[in-house]
Amino acid sequence: MNSKKHDFKPAGLYVHIPFCQTKCRYCGFYSEPIKNHAPQRLISAIITELTEKRGQEPFFAYQTIYIGGGSPSCLPAKQLLRLIGEITSRCPKPEEFTVEVNPGQVSKDILSQLRAAGVTRISIGAQSFASEELTFLGRKHSVADIGRAVRSAKKASFDNIGIDLIFAIPHSTLESWKYSLRSAIDLGVQHISAYALTYEEQTPLQKAVEAGEVKPVDEETDRQMYDMTIDELEKAGFKQYEISNFSKPGFECRHNLNYWANNPYLGIGPAAGSYWNGKRTLNIADIKKYIEAIEQRKNVIAESETPDNIQVACETAVLNLRRRCGIILDEFKKQTGFDAAKLFAEPIGRYKKLGLIRTTSKRLCLTRKALPIADSVLCDFSTT
Amino acid sequence: MSTELIRNFSIIAHIDHGKSTLADRIMELTGAVSDREKKDQLLDDMDIERERGITIKASAVTMNYEHGGKTYMLNLIDTPGHVDFHYEVSRALTACEGALLVVDATQGVQAQTVANAYLATEAGAEIIGVINKVDLPSAQPDITAEEIEHVLGIRKQDCFHISAKTGMGVHELLDAVVTLLPPPPDNSDKPTAALVFDSECDAYRGVICYVRVFSGELNIKQKIRFMGTGRTHLITELGKFTPKMSPVERLSAGEVGYVIANVRQLSDITIGDTITDDASPAEKPLPGYVPPMQMVFSDFYPGNNTDYPNLRLAFEKLALNDASFSFIPQNSPALGFGFRCGFLGLLHMEIVQERLERENDIDVVQTAPTVSYEVITTDGRTLKIDSPADLPDVTQIEELREPYVRLEIITTTDTIGGIMQLSESRRCKLIKTDYLSQNRVMMQYKAPLAEIVYDFYDLLKGISHGYATMDYEFTGFEVGDLVKINILVNKIPVDALSLIVHRSTAENRGRKMLVRLRKAIPRHQFEIPLQVAIGGKIIARESIKPFRKDVTAKLYGGDVTRKMKVLKRQREGKKRMKNIGAVQIPQDAFMSILDSSD
Repeated sequence: MNSKKHDFKPAGLYVHIPFCQTKCRYCGFYSEPIKNHAPQRLISAIITELTEKRGQEPFFAYQTIYIGGGSPSCLPAKQLLRLIGEITSRCPKPEEFTVEVNPGQVSKDILSQLRAAGVTRISIGAQSFASEELTFLGRKHSVADIGRAVRSAKKASFDNIGIDLIFAIPHSTLESWKYSLRSAIDLGVQHISAYALTYEEQTPLQKAVEAGEVKPVDEETDRQMYDMTIDELEKAGFKQYEISNFSKPGFECRHNLNYWANNPYLGIGPAAGSYWNGKRTLNIADIKKYIEAIEQRKNVIAESETPDNIQVACETAVLNLRRRCGIILDEFKKQTGFDAAKLFAEPIGRYKKLGLIRTTSKRLCLTRKALPIADSVLCDFSTT
Repeated sequence: MSTELIRNFSIIAHIDHGKSTLADRIMELTGAVSDREKKDQLLDDMDIERERGITIKASAVTMNYEHGGKTYMLNLIDTPGHVDFHYEVSRALTACEGALLVVDATQGVQAQTVANAYLATEAGAEIIGVINKVDLPSAQPDITAEEIEHVLGIRKQDCFHISAKTGMGVHELLDAVVTLLPPPPDNSDKPTAALVFDSECDAYRGVICYVRVFSGELNIKQKIRFMGTGRTHLITELGKFTPKMSPVERLSAGEVGYVIANVRQLSDITIGDTITDDASPAEKPLPGYVPPMQMVFSDFYPGNNTDYPNLRLAFEKLALNDASFSFIPQNSPALGFGFRCGFLGLLHMEIVQERLERENDIDVVQTAPTVSYEVITTDGRTLKIDSPADLPDVTQIEELREPYVRLEIITTTDTIGGIMQLSESRRCKLIKTDYLSQNRVMMQYKAPLAEIVYDFYDLLKGISHGYATMDYEFTGFEVGDLVKINILVNKIPVDALSLIVHRSTAENRGRKMLVRLRKAIPRHQFEIPLQVAIGGKIIARESIKPFRKDVTAKLYGGDVTRKMKVLKRQREGKKRMKNIGAVQIPQDAFMSILDSSD
């Protein structure tokens, strides 16, 4: 498995903080209200898991680090900084170190402390610049909080700031979405993620839709909002590098690029997913059980799957094709052992004719036209 | 052995009038089955038959019955009871000298009662009228007897009143089988001639032929010849169904049983063929059997082209147990390689479909069923057309003929109006109306088969609150003012979606087809124009708008496994459809074009 020379393999490190002030009605990630828990115990458990995994697999180099959630910013500053300290002591010079923050939960002080501790990138969960949309989503922060958070981050000398936005929120309009986009652009951030609202299973929002209490925006509006996203952001100098991600040149989120490259990553914390030594695993999605398992030195993995060679190739293709740069044929071959053009000859031929896939001698990618309907194309790359 | 003590007979009845129950009771009374062995409806040995409560295939059971101090050999040949299986009923009846015509005393004479009686008469069988279920409170045996006399010409005082369920009157009926039905003629000294009236295939023993020996005898190890195919075989096993397979040394003239002779595939024998002795053969084969007449055709294509050989194997297997089903290779420009299959009728088609799905794991795309047409070309040739796709260009058609049937409907007088309306809308011509009793009537129509083959029966049942029954028999081909409707999907003509209809309804049908297809074909990544053309002229258009958004917004590390599963499922959904050009057409769409309702 590991070469004798002990080469360090590049990998990402993700830490999941499953705490929130309050749970948003659309959120499908695992998290619980922080008031029900003792954060220091969880952080200790997370540090234990990191230490153990590190002991087992010393030959990976974490090039990128990402602390997400939930909202890591709802942790007591001391706990968050303790966690960051433990991580940087094991990985002193990451290429990128992102912490997700909620705009209502950050001050210039804490942001400066994060910066000083080695964090290089801040990702702000803004979601919308229309206050009624924030209310609808169940967000507790205000529109003004977003601007304040961005300005604080800048003052704390962050020069890599990302904002998350959500479109196709019920009752939103093309105008309200354009306003949100423009507001984000005007704040002078380097990165914008724009997600269509997803009705995740088992969320209160999805149940409300089923009960007929909430009506999703129609497909045509959703499409127009997506088209508008790409147009507006490109006009403002942002480059789309993935289906939902845009950045100023050089400010792509490297941690996320690692996922779409289908490179290994280690996920730490409750409900975190890993792709490590060819195995995909998911940790227990329950804070209490997770902590108990760690403390009693028991297994924290709830689900595990080892994809075979073909599956790896398919997963790599699906993930790669989400990038605007698509599948880079050489890299794909090196990584999976397969010639993508041959392995997927049938769908490639079909979709080229439909103008949904573009090929060059070096790469294979979705066309602009394919992006809004990418799943209908990617599903033909999900198996061979 | 003299034939004096042999009686060969069938039970014929409308569906659910108690044929199988009576067969069970007879087998019990003759000791062929003990109580412990008996399952309901012993003769139906296929699951589908049992589930649907109908008998598809004829079976033959040999029993002993004591009467007047003598032991008689009774051979009961079971017959199917549905409208589609006229041919199988007639095959079974040809092997018999007599028939028990069973009528349910609570239902009276029904359409298939009449049709079966005609068949028995045609086969030269003696008919005994049997009124069943006389023990039920709602039984009206006297009215039923009058209907039998009125419609079938059997004197009411000659009918036997029984309850197959309780066994009441069954002994007397068996006595009548012995005393009233004639024995088979004694031709034991003549050259061997045995009729193959059915067959099935056993995985270990090969083909089992059901035979009726008409003259001479069959012996174990005898070298026999199938006169039709000319093939010779050595008999390895002879036997009777008692009802289990019981080997015997010999089958003599007049007897019914089975022959196993190392025949591996059904294609090696022909139902209706005559078995004779290879060394001293009969002069000529036995008369009587008409090859089954397939009236309904439908193309079957494998969902995945690589499944073509498997589909062929599946059909070969099905054909082993069903002589009335045919399949020939077919190549459609739109759908690729498949098979054109012929069926006796729509129910027969459904049974074959079900068996295909149940016994094989192949995704199949099936085209809408069609009837067979006759084309007289301008250069004087007569063509048989089993698919609208094969219809020559209009300029080469002198005359287009469609099959007609004599349709009999038995219903209550209060539903006559509704049935007449339905029949008129389907181009049926009323020939006569016969009152069976004060409130029951038999209506006879001349009907184009194409108009009644698909949903007519369901509509009839709806109008009559389930009461009306129907049966039909092919009478011949007649000229019709027929046109072909062509459908273009994404500008490509799809032969499998074309339909032959009467000119008067063509435009209306064409428009409805488009509406159905628009609903049946899912949205794609691009807009799909749908067009309907009659005689090369586009008469209507529709379009299926593309889907506008289908993309997962977020895909990061934790979701990969789950998301891949969702994508695979999405792809599986596509694979179940048939690709025509870039368009995926689901199975439903091919069938939807026949739905003519509003």
